[in-house]
Amino acid sequence: MDVPSLSTQLNPLVILPELIVLTALVVVVVCDLIVGRTASRWTPYVAVSGLLVSVVQLGFQWNNDHAIAFLGGFNGDALSIVFRGIIALSAAVTILISIRYIEQSGTALSEFISILLAATLGGMFLSGADELVTIFIALETLSISSYLLTGYMKRDPRSNEAALKYLLIGASSSAIFLYGISLLYGLSGGATKLVDIGTALTLSTGLGDPSIGIVIALVFVIAGVAFKISAVPFHQWTPDVYEGSPTPVVAFLSVGSKAAGFALAIRLLVTAFPVVWEQWRFVFVALAILSMILGNVVALAQTSMKRLLAYSSIGQAGFVMLGLIAGTEQGYASMIFYLFIYLFMNLGGFTCVILFSLRTGTDQISEYAGLYQKDPLLTLGLSLCLLSLGGIPPMAGFFAKLYLFWVGWQAGLYGLVLLALVTSVISIYYYIRVIKMMVVKEPQEMSAAVLHYPVVQWNLPGMRPLQVSLISMVLITSLAGILSNPLLSLANASVSNTPLLQSFIKASTVSVSITDVDSHL
Amino acid sequence: MNLAQGVQVVSLGLLSLMVLGAALGVVLANNIVYSAFLLGGVFISISGLYILLNAGFVATAQILIYVGAVNVLILFAIMLVNKREDFAPISSAWIRKGVTGLVCIGLFALLSTMVLTTPWLIASIPASGEQATLLIGEHLFSDFLLPFELASVLLLIALIGAIILARRELIVNEPASGVDAGLMLPERPREGVAVGSDP
Amino acid sequence: MELQYFLLLAAALFCIGVYGLITSRNAVRVLMSIELMLNAVNLNLMAFSNFLDPGEIKGQVFTVFVITVAAAEAAVGLAIILSIYRNRDTVDMEQFNLLKW
Repeated sequence: MDVPSLSTQLNPLVILPELIVLTALVVVVVCDLIVGRTASRWTPYVAVSGLLVSVVQLGFQWNNDHAIAFLGGFNGDALSIVFRGIIALSAAVTILISIRYIEQSGTALSEFISILLAATLGGMFLSGADELVTIFIALETLSISSYLLTGYMKRDPRSNEAALKYLLIGASSSAIFLYGISLLYGLSGGATKLVDIGTALTLSTGLGDPSIGIVIALVFVIAGVAFKISAVPFHQWTPDVYEGSPTPVVAFLSVGSKAAGFALAIRLLVTAFPVVWEQWRFVFVALAILSMILGNVVALAQTSMKRLLAYSSIGQAGFVMLGLIAGTEQGYASMIFYLFIYLFMNLGGFTCVILFSLRTGTDQISEYAGLYQKDPLLTLGLSLCLLSLGGIPPMAGFFAKLYLFWVGWQAGLYGLVLLALVTSVISIYYYIRVIKMMVVKEPQEMSAAVLHYPVVQWNLPGMRPLQVSLISMVLITSLAGILSNPLLSLANASVSNTPLLQSFIKASTVSVSITDVDSHL
Repeated sequence: MNLAQGVQVVSLGLLSLMVLGAALGVVLANNIVYSAFLLGGVFISISGLYILLNAGFVATAQILIYVGAVNVLILFAIMLVNKREDFAPISSAWIRKGVTGLVCIGLFALLSTMVLTTPWLIASIPASGEQATLLIGEHLFSDFLLPFELASVLLLIALIGAIILARRELIVNEPASGVDAGLMLPERPREGVAVGSDP
Repeated sequence: MELQYFLLLAAALFCIGVYGLITSRNAVRVLMSIELMLNAVNLNLMAFSNFLDPGEIKGQVFTVFVITVAAAEAAVGLAIILSIYRNRDTVDMEQFNLLKW
């Protein structure tokens, strides 16, 4: 194999967006090393512009016919482009909202940004990884960077503890995931590409029941994936990590890392496990039911804003799984649409929480009492984002939820959709509770933190980016519902442009119709 | 059975006994230092198993990285975290251990049924043996190029992050006071990182 | 020399690792248990690579990657344990209860 033909086979231009992010990472690390601490004044903007350029570059690759790169190791199809875009965008917003927070906590900013960029890189590669080794390395890049980010406030015992718990649970879940992957390698007779594994498993199963080996591999793999998307019962780490770690990190974990988990789930299950389609669908039904119930019910009892958002994100993951379970073309499209909207509304919510904790130093819900009189902008932003998370019209979250539930209903998941409706009504209750707390009228009900609320100043270093991200997130959250057409067509086009989803949907509808015919006979 | 096969079978048996015994020791030993050394024993005997599986290169890598790096790192951590600590006993700890043991035995029973009932697709071609190192190199620079390069980012970030988390914060302004200042590294006082003291 | 023999050994090692993971109270020992589980996976991969995939030995390459990641994970884990030890002066898992499980 000579060099030119090898380089065409590798097709490295598919990962150009990742290379841009990598360049930004290297620039941040090296410049911080050379210039010293003063570099942290401009390194965040280098990182953000790198991420945005990478998103633009992703747009250019939309209709790429040669999406397979690295001899089948990486698949840059439309599905991966959407997920990589979500992850890169969430990282960009996270950097904007973290500048002031990190400076105020007295830790180094440039290292924080470089670790965050590495996590982004891992997530982006994970969204397109099409082969077991690449999946594993990308997953670990994402996970190890997340452990480091979680423990970044190293003099805060809560941050230490969160990092230790996250590391131990995460490392053991990735060991279990890896055991499942090694079984896949063996069961397929030595294949590591997902497509080959899918074919080999289908061949070896034939028409009979799947062997116990395939089922065990499936269960182990799902355990690893469910940990990443924090589905109940693999959620134990979520509230602790969310409460203990720095708030910008939580924002990234709840959006970027979760989106990467969903991308992995779709690609792995659809490509490698079509033969046990019924089984994994069943497992995800169970996960979705548990996540929706537990996430939304336990959130009622929370007193800390970060823990509340943690449980709410568990519940939201349950809703997103509806689309995966439906398994239709619109099912996947509604998932992607929901994740997009979730990106904006959740990051908007976290921006407000960060602003509040920067000014008052607390994130207890009771301390938000009476905030309306001191800071109307913050109150408005947080209220809009929470209403959108709860799914109140005309916010974007309402339309995203509506689409998801409608798709689930179309696919015949009546019980699941009803449960989702009930739990989202419950979720509205705890979101409204926070809003009610903020807009109390009487001054004597104001909490101590709000009474001593500092004068709002936007010209302090690092506050402008916070303001920009607050306003843009809130604007998108409130307008994206009414003007949702571009996002919606993007989500639909990404599904219809992805060959692997198309072939899977075709195959599964055929098999469903066959079983229907069987049952009628 | 000729001599070579006999040697292989005997060493296989010995090595697996060593692996299982040392692994049980890692988990059950009371003294954490014994556990760490037994962990080294597990790593070395597993690398012996790799040699039996015709993988000399990986066996070497196992000894170099696991014994030379990971195990030494763990020993260093034990020395740095060297408080002799008697954990306060919890009542009903034995119930937890018993239940966990039963669960693990059940898991083993499940996995071994799976191993024994699955018809593995044993290949008929001979093992690559001496060619293995060459093949690994070719893989690393063709179809596994992407994970190979990504692993460098992973290692870089692990390096940076581990240094950040483990180093002490040096005091910049005030010099360390006291007579034995030369003996201890100055460290910034541990004030809480209250995030929003004053905007 | 049977494939099943190695797989059984790996399964046993994996289960011992799981036991240690759940019952250990010392955080360093929990990390060691995770290393045991990763080694079980490596043994699995190597056995498959030798018996099912002797021509391409992708399993050996995979093992090299797992070893790399395990080293990085151990380094990060020990750094985190060191920083929590500085703040809390203990490595007992039962004591880490500032955040409820």
